[in-house]
Amino acid sequence: MSILKVENINKSFKTLQVLQNVSLEVQPGERHVIIGPNGAGKTTLFNCITNVLPIDSGKIFLEGQEISNMPSSKLVHLGMSRTFQKNNLFGNLTVEENLHLALTATKRYRYQMFHALTKHIDLKKETDEILAQWEISTRRNVKVNNLSYGEQRLLEILLAMASKPKILLLDEPTSGMSPAETAQTAEMIQKLPRTVSILIIEHDMDVVFSIADRITVLHHGEVILSGTPEEVRNNEEVREIYFGGGAKAHA
Amino acid sequence: MKKNILIFIVFLLIAFVLPFVLSVYGIDLVSEIFIMAIFAMSLGLIMGYAGMVSLGHAGFFGIGAYTVALLGPHIPNSYLLLFFSICLSGLLALVTGAIFIRTSKFYFLMITLAFGQLLFALAWQLKQWTGGADGMKVSAPLNLGFGEIVSPIGIYSVMAAAFIIVYLLLRFFVESPVGKIVKGIMENEARMSALGYDVRIYKLLTYTFSGALAGFAGSLYGFYNLFVSPDVSSWMFSGQVMMMVIIGGVGTLIGPAIGAGLFIFLQNFISTYTERWPIIMGALLVILVLVGKGGIIHWFALLKSKIFYKKRKNSDDYAPQHVEKEEVVN
Ligand SMILES: Nc1ncnc2c1ncn2[C@@H]1O[C@H](COP(=O)(O)OP(=O)(O)OP(=O)(O)O)[C@@H](O)[C@H]1O
Ligand SMILES: [Mg+2]
Repeated sequence: MSILKVENINKSFKTLQVLQNVSLEVQPGERHVIIGPNGAGKTTLFNCITNVLPIDSGKIFLEGQEISNMPSSKLVHLGMSRTFQKNNLFGNLTVEENLHLALTATKRYRYQMFHALTKHIDLKKETDEILAQWEISTRRNVKVNNLSYGEQRLLEILLAMASKPKILLLDEPTSGMSPAETAQTAEMIQKLPRTVSILIIEHDMDVVFSIADRITVLHHGEVILSGTPEEVRNNEEVREIYFGGGAKAHA
Repeated sequence: MKKNILIFIVFLLIAFVLPFVLSVYGIDLVSEIFIMAIFAMSLGLIMGYAGMVSLGHAGFFGIGAYTVALLGPHIPNSYLLLFFSICLSGLLALVTGAIFIRTSKFYFLMITLAFGQLLFALAWQLKQWTGGADGMKVSAPLNLGFGEIVSPIGIYSVMAAAFIIVYLLLRFFVESPVGKIVKGIMENEARMSALGYDVRIYKLLTYTFSGALAGFAGSLYGFYNLFVSPDVSSWMFSGQVMMMVIIGGVGTLIGPAIGAGLFIFLQNFISTYTERWPIIMGALLVILVLVGKGGIIHWFALLKSKIFYKKRKNSDDYAPQHVEKEEVVN
């Protein structure tokens, strides 16, 4: 069974139809990349999948369970979490506090009212592990607003990972990054275990072809093609609209 | 942390010594300050830790005060009266909050204002029970199991203890998961929701807790003043307590308490000199708010940073909103 299935969803803002009969499927463990020119509707697709925006019609399934109208907060508890194209963090809190908030979301003690959060040992342990694993232990007590842009982008992913999702939705994790940071992020995404499936929107073609098992091309809110990297690379229509007539097609 | 404990001990000492140096009038005034400080801290919680600005918080205060006044003659047990006040105001906050928190910030302000006015009107209209605009006497002397407490020092002790208990409760609350989460929601609601939090539950829990504390303050006021009138739930009073919170400092626990102290003190001090005290009070408050951006509590923090952190290079980017964080911000 596919982990995520999107069936014929439509979405419009007033008169502007942004998604038209969009369908796609993500298999367990798959790295599924969505590409498409600016304004194609990629972020809107994420917002619809996570029910940040209600869909007009269509159906969405997570591991076979319909989630079309489920509140976005509930989806996390079913195993789906996401990042944002623009950093969406807690800028006035420290790195550690950001991680605490992300980790607590799936803890049973999240409704506790008079017992100090930081007294929970598992929380401290998991925070330490994450900080150590991504080699940012020294940044622990730094306010997020004072982090470099690249570090903030990384934290964006770490917060989404905190709930140990089965499927992770990444919205342009490398946007605005330097080439070096982009390469690092691509490496990081490759390092993520295969127990988590990934649906990722990405512009950088190097990154796309280095991680994709499958690529879906979105154009004017429609799926042009969904196939292997090879199929996408060789498709005339995709070259036409996305690579500008093939001139800039990636070698 | 150790510094906080030290400050707490100093506070306890002062609270202990005060009754010996103050006149009866002074003791009475400080008792009132303790009550208003509890009330202001309850509003400060939702304003500064949950981003909910209410103009109807006196409604809960009124529920507490009238509970003592109306049930006092029938229930001779002070503990039960306090318990009922807290439960009633908490329950009312839970039910109304479930509706109010769905609204946007501006609308929340308006609907809480309307809610407060509704209770005010009720106290006014239900003349046969409340005495209407004339108010009513409270015939429920405070008795906590060791005789009736009527002396100013007795009342003072109870109010001081209540203040300390509420402060500690709030301290625990803001450090707890729910307290941290609701603060996260205030900063970035969309992300909290994306992280898996049902944000409404957390706002509602906080609002309910705050309402219950306001009700507690109201019931203490009933015991203290032995007289209640509809004014205790008027929008004027809601506005005054908001002033206390803002003067003292939004976003800290103790700030609103300090604001309450200053407000009550000034009000009494100025009103002994002139009938026109509201005008002078108003002008003073305007100045305080204009000059003391962030509230009085941040003056202390700035002063402290001047004294203790002079040698630090980055004392310039000292962020007053994050007093407790000073050790960790780089
Ligand atoms: N909330 C909204 N209200 C109205 N129009 C919107 C809204 N969100 C997106 N749009 C419009 O929908 C279209 C698709 O936007 P979307 O953000 O999904 O594109 P995208 O593929 O993510 O683009 P980019 O690569 O620039 O991130 C755009 O024309 C955008 O202006
Ligand atoms: Mg986008």
